[in-house]
Amino acid sequence: MNTIIKPTLILTAVAFTAAFVLSHVEKITYPNILKQKKEKQDKALLLILPGYKIIKENKTEIDHAEFHYWIGEKEVEGKPVKAYAFIAASAGYGGPVESIVGVDEHNRILGISILNQTETPGLGARCMEIASQNTLFGKLMGVENGDDGNLSPWFQEQFSGLSLDSGINILKKGDWSPAMKNELMERNAITSITGATITGRAVIRSLDSGFIKLQKALSVELNSAGGQK
Amino acid sequence: MNYWSEFKKGIWAKNPILVIGIGMCPTLAVSTSVSNAFWMTLATTFVLTGSNLIVSLVKGFVPDHIRMPIFISIIATFVTVVELMLNAFQPGVFKALGIFIPLIVVNCIILGRAEEFASKNGIITSMLDGLGMGLGFGLTLSALAFVRESLGANKLFGLTLIPGMQPSTAMILAPGAFFTLGLMLWGMNVINSRKG
Repeated sequence: MNTIIKPTLILTAVAFTAAFVLSHVEKITYPNILKQKKEKQDKALLLILPGYKIIKENKTEIDHAEFHYWIGEKEVEGKPVKAYAFIAASAGYGGPVESIVGVDEHNRILGISILNQTETPGLGARCMEIASQNTLFGKLMGVENGDDGNLSPWFQEQFSGLSLDSGINILKKGDWSPAMKNELMERNAITSITGATITGRAVIRSLDSGFIKLQKALSVELNSAGGQK
Repeated sequence: MNYWSEFKKGIWAKNPILVIGIGMCPTLAVSTSVSNAFWMTLATTFVLTGSNLIVSLVKGFVPDHIRMPIFISIIATFVTVVELMLNAFQPGVFKALGIFIPLIVVNCIILGRAEEFASKNGIITSMLDGLGMGLGFGLTLSALAFVRESLGANKLFGLTLIPGMQPSTAMILAPGAFFTLGLMLWGMNVINSRKG
């Protein structure tokens, strides 16, 4: 009997101690983690809806899943112009890839910003990579080639200006470079990350499904507004 | 017991990766860039030293046949503490390490050292063993990452090496890790056989 009770008690004590320690650490860290998530979202929102003022934020349920979207507005030549932002998520190679996307009235992407991803470092995780303009040789010799601090990740940057009306294509042309810009725009396409096409596909899929949900959410809103009149 | 020899054995004579041959998964996965290797080393060494300390403290109370679940609980607790702390107070580092942090739990070096060393030795020697093993792990990882990042991405520390050169992508993918690790093992064996 002792061979059952004693190990059980010891294991319980260990599990209890671990839970006790972790619950306290969690209590200390939770507010900070939440704050950081909010900050990240707010910062991304400014980036993907440049110049727009957020007039509405809404969380609703579309197709049995939570859908979080924003409506922004700005004045262009005296007329109010609207733009929308939404959270898009889809399964990548190592887990969900979650991004926040800004779209203008003509269904063109204003910008995307990837919030969370757990892709393979060195491959899919390069969707967050900021390509430096500097070379190691130049850095050692003190030759600066522009500040890298203001650059945004090239993988996300190339989505700006693409249309969500027709599907976005993927071209395997290696890392993005300014020389590809025109061809990619013409073909409404992005160039995928070498060795991580799945990540690129996941982002595109999340944009497509998120955009459909956005339209559903907006039509619901329009109908209910009409009903009130 | 000589403290210095307990510390330094992890670096060459009992290097966890090259000699004992454990902890291969994180080694192959994380060695794509030197900065990843650095942060991984730091986090792993912290968990390794901490879990060695606790395991060495509780070794008298742990019945032999349930030692595995107990060791793993201790290690997992340490890893979760690291993960939460980094996420809350060092978000930049947390972002850089990402998925690697939770994966430290399954790093064989940590359970291996708890089982083979800390559960049989005193507190100070166990901590020194953890630090030495962590350093040995880190040096191997950095060397591997140095080769892979420079050849596979034409970069070091995120900065381009030779502008305009096409890097060989194979080096950044899994085969490159196997090639480089194989060459390192060969080099180590050559040196050791000449010494012997």
